[in-house]
Amino acid sequence: MSLRTPSSRVSFAAVTPNNLGTVRKLNSVLFPIKYSEKFYSDIVQPDVEDFCQLIYYNDIPVGTMCCRVEEKDGQAKLYLMTLAVLAPYRSRGIGSQSLQHLIDAAVAHTKPKITAIYLHVQVSNDDAKKFYERHGFKETGLYENYYKKITPHDAWILQRDIEAKAVEVQ
Amino acid sequence: MPPAGIPPARALPSKESSLFKEVLHYYEDRQLKKGLKAADSILKKFPNHGETLCMKGLILTHLGRREEGLELVKQGVRLDLTSHICWHVFGLIQKGQKNYEEALKSYTQALRFDKENMNILRDAAHLQTQLRLYDGLVETRHTLLRLRPQLRQNWIGLAVAYHLSGNLAEAKTVLEQFERIVKNVPDYDVEMSEVLLYHIRVLEDLGEYTEALTLLDANAKSRAIIDRVAIQEFRARILSKAGKDEAQQAWQGLIEQNADCYDYYKGYLSSRGVDVDAITDENRDKALQSLHDFSQQFSKASAPLRMALELASGAKFAELVQPYLETRLEKGVPSLFADLKSLYRSPEKRDAIESAVTALLSTLQHPPTVPSPPDTDPTEYIWALYFLAQHYSFLGNHKKAIELLDEAIAHTPTLPELYMFKARVLKRAGDPFGAAKNMDLARTLDLQDRFLNTKAGKYRLRAGLVEGAVELFGLFTKKDAQSPSHDLEDMQSLIYLTEEADAQLRNGNLAMALKKYDAIHKIFDVFEDDQFDFHGYSVRKFTVNIYMNLIQWEDTLRSHPAYVHSAIEASRILVRVYDDPKLASKPSSESELSSAEKKAKKKAKKAEKKVQEEAKKANPNATNEDKGLDVSPPKDEDPDGTKLLQGPDLLERAVKVLKPLTTMAKDNVNVWIAIYDVAIRRKKYLQAVQALNHAHMLNADSPELHIRLVDFKRRWLSLSEKPSEDASLATSSAILKLLPDEVSVEVFNSQYLQHHSSRADAILAAAKVSRTLGAPREEVEASLFNALNADTALAIVAFLSEIRSPREEEFRTACQGKFELSTLFLSPADLAAARKAVVQKDPVAEAVEDKAETIS
Repeated sequence: MSLRTPSSRVSFAAVTPNNLGTVRKLNSVLFPIKYSEKFYSDIVQPDVEDFCQLIYYNDIPVGTMCCRVEEKDGQAKLYLMTLAVLAPYRSRGIGSQSLQHLIDAAVAHTKPKITAIYLHVQVSNDDAKKFYERHGFKETGLYENYYKKITPHDAWILQRDIEAKAVEVQ
Repeated sequence: MPPAGIPPARALPSKESSLFKEVLHYYEDRQLKKGLKAADSILKKFPNHGETLCMKGLILTHLGRREEGLELVKQGVRLDLTSHICWHVFGLIQKGQKNYEEALKSYTQALRFDKENMNILRDAAHLQTQLRLYDGLVETRHTLLRLRPQLRQNWIGLAVAYHLSGNLAEAKTVLEQFERIVKNVPDYDVEMSEVLLYHIRVLEDLGEYTEALTLLDANAKSRAIIDRVAIQEFRARILSKAGKDEAQQAWQGLIEQNADCYDYYKGYLSSRGVDVDAITDENRDKALQSLHDFSQQFSKASAPLRMALELASGAKFAELVQPYLETRLEKGVPSLFADLKSLYRSPEKRDAIESAVTALLSTLQHPPTVPSPPDTDPTEYIWALYFLAQHYSFLGNHKKAIELLDEAIAHTPTLPELYMFKARVLKRAGDPFGAAKNMDLARTLDLQDRFLNTKAGKYRLRAGLVEGAVELFGLFTKKDAQSPSHDLEDMQSLIYLTEEADAQLRNGNLAMALKKYDAIHKIFDVFEDDQFDFHGYSVRKFTVNIYMNLIQWEDTLRSHPAYVHSAIEASRILVRVYDDPKLASKPSSESELSSAEKKAKKKAKKAEKKVQEEAKKANPNATNEDKGLDVSPPKDEDPDGTKLLQGPDLLERAVKVLKPLTTMAKDNVNVWIAIYDVAIRRKKYLQAVQALNHAHMLNADSPELHIRLVDFKRRWLSLSEKPSEDASLATSSAILKLLPDEVSVEVFNSQYLQHHSSRADAILAAAKVSRTLGAPREEVEASLFNALNADTALAIVAFLSEIRSPREEEFRTACQGKFELSTLFLSPADLAAARKAVVQKDPVAEAVEDKAETIS
């Protein structure tokens, strides 16, 4: 094998109208959910480009992560809508690197300042919950009947606070 | 001009005489309006002054009033036939019209009356070069040098003229004299450096290697030649040709500079007595050892490794190819198959590659639903699948290729190459619609990739979707262009024009097809015109070496595949319309405008109008603008090409486009078949037989030739009045050789069928011939059903439909059974549906329609 370390094979690029077809393709195989046209028009907005990214492995798109910024009471939070990597590319630390990339971007962001990242995880998905907990996320509540058609219907709410210059939580 | 010799009609009083000098002056400075005013005031008093009329005409032409200008110039010349100014002006105008022959005649006239005019001599030299009149060129350049020996470029001009006329020895003499007398050359002078390199090239071409090397070494040392790479390359090449031992070291030095240049390795090996194009078992190991050493020394270079694959055989090849494949698959080199394809000429190498990649694949294999094993690389697996899919499709196993690609797509659905190649496999298997759809899937993954966009457009054209294709191309063409097609034509995109013309032809729109082929021919005319400026520029700037390559390239310009193809197709269309003039008036079903097309047309018109208005706005002062002498292309008066199909000169136009092919593509059977088809209809019997003879020499068994032989014999026998005796004799003795008199055409045809009974294309040709000979339809049909072969099957369907066979449907169904992946044998209705399905709004979005949960 080559001398390249796994991390050097992973790279990121912002979602744009031009590569949106790749995002659609990934979403169609990664999630049991259909995303609306609004979802796709939101993630290509320039103000979220740091938080809506394609994940590449050896220059091939293998995953995607998309957030939106929610502002309430003068505080801005990042809501992680999607984060996933194609099955054959899992267990290589790509997800962790991606989440770390996202956290770094959130820390560095100033206008607006991001105070937290949160997301929903279907209550049957223990692996995902553990993954986020390893990266400093904590369960802060339960959203009943979050999913309308797929079961189980409930979702955990997981959140990680962001402090400026936060030290890496690993 | 000596005043004594002025004819009375030309003489002007001193006031007007100085006014005329002003006209010349204003023209030189491009102060066109002032020049026009001055000319007018002379003409007020002397309306018949030829030279002034010519100057006024010239100025008007520059101002864009071309017709008016031309009229005045002609009038002026008539009024003063002995004025060099009049003839010079006339020549300038003709040159602007690209009428080089006539222009040269005018220049020759001008020189009669002013033998030593430098400007006219120089222009004449350029025209002589353009027209390849090299003897005259030598003479002109001689005169120029005699008049101004102090101008450096005049020496080079003469040397180049001798070189072009084939007299290398004289070129050498001129260069030697020049170098002897030239003085005060500054250090690092690029021009002098080019001249010296040119001199060395001349010596090399003359075979005077020792002299060449002496000159090269002396001037390299004195730094008179400043192109270091050229010095090394010239040196290595000439040393090799001279058979000197130092050649090896020279090539080695070049390899050290650029370890990825194949020519350097070839030169190196040849200096060690190995001809890589004719490797033998004796020197194979020696060559491989050298390449191995180089690959150790330059670990990043690919060339020595790849070249070793070319030279190795047997077990050694297997041993070398495995690491070559592995490193590139691991790295993910998409072009790997294209790189290795040429090795497939050897079945042994082909099999070795197949088993190496198959073995590698088995170690990487894993299901697409789980994480890949930690010690393997999932992308390497994808690239291995991709490679093997290309391998199998290349060998004609399209089903296996699709299986492999589907496996790869299930694993990694985001790699455009996978969809692109799936499209290509489907295309090869005869499904242009599935192909276009898959190419579009690849395109939607990355909209800013122009390569993907172009491919998707091309595949739509292959599926007959002209409009849909142009729409895609439009995403990347200039936004302010009249239409995407116009922009691509302006950009001289031969591939686009060829593909659209072919698509229009398949759709039965002969007019548009011919229009696009015509556009291709015009582009080649432009290529030819483009060299004109270099006849002056390259000599003036001393860029002679590259200029000689340009001239060579221009001389073989029309051997370009795009020209050959479009000339043959255009000629076929013209012949078809000649045989059946109804084709020109009958609008084909495809060309009837749908409402969408009408809308598009309106839009194009609007855009055109806007462009024109903007052009006007940008140039409010248009009257004083210099529009130059070159005639710009006229406005398109025939947007759908219908006028091209009309006119009495169809065959003459075919002759014109085919003419260059008799020398540029004389090894192409189809060229001679096309020439025959035109000649026989023009009743040029000798020419027709000669074309058949050429075709016969190239491929005696050609089915198309067989059809023509019978055609000729029938036409010849039915001639009531044979052409004049000489030609007639020559013709009949020529045809005798190809189709002897004692054999009837019927027997000739059945003999041909017997000899080629296993070839589908020959069966079709024989069937066509028996139909023209009046065989019953049932018999013709029966013979065709023996010919189930994918390449010819489609042509058979077309022919069955042409003879209105009731068994057409049966044949289609049989084909469908035999070529399962193909969609080309669908019924016309199903074909239309398949074509429509290609253009979807968003293929990915459609695929996920069935998801249960929706998130907004």
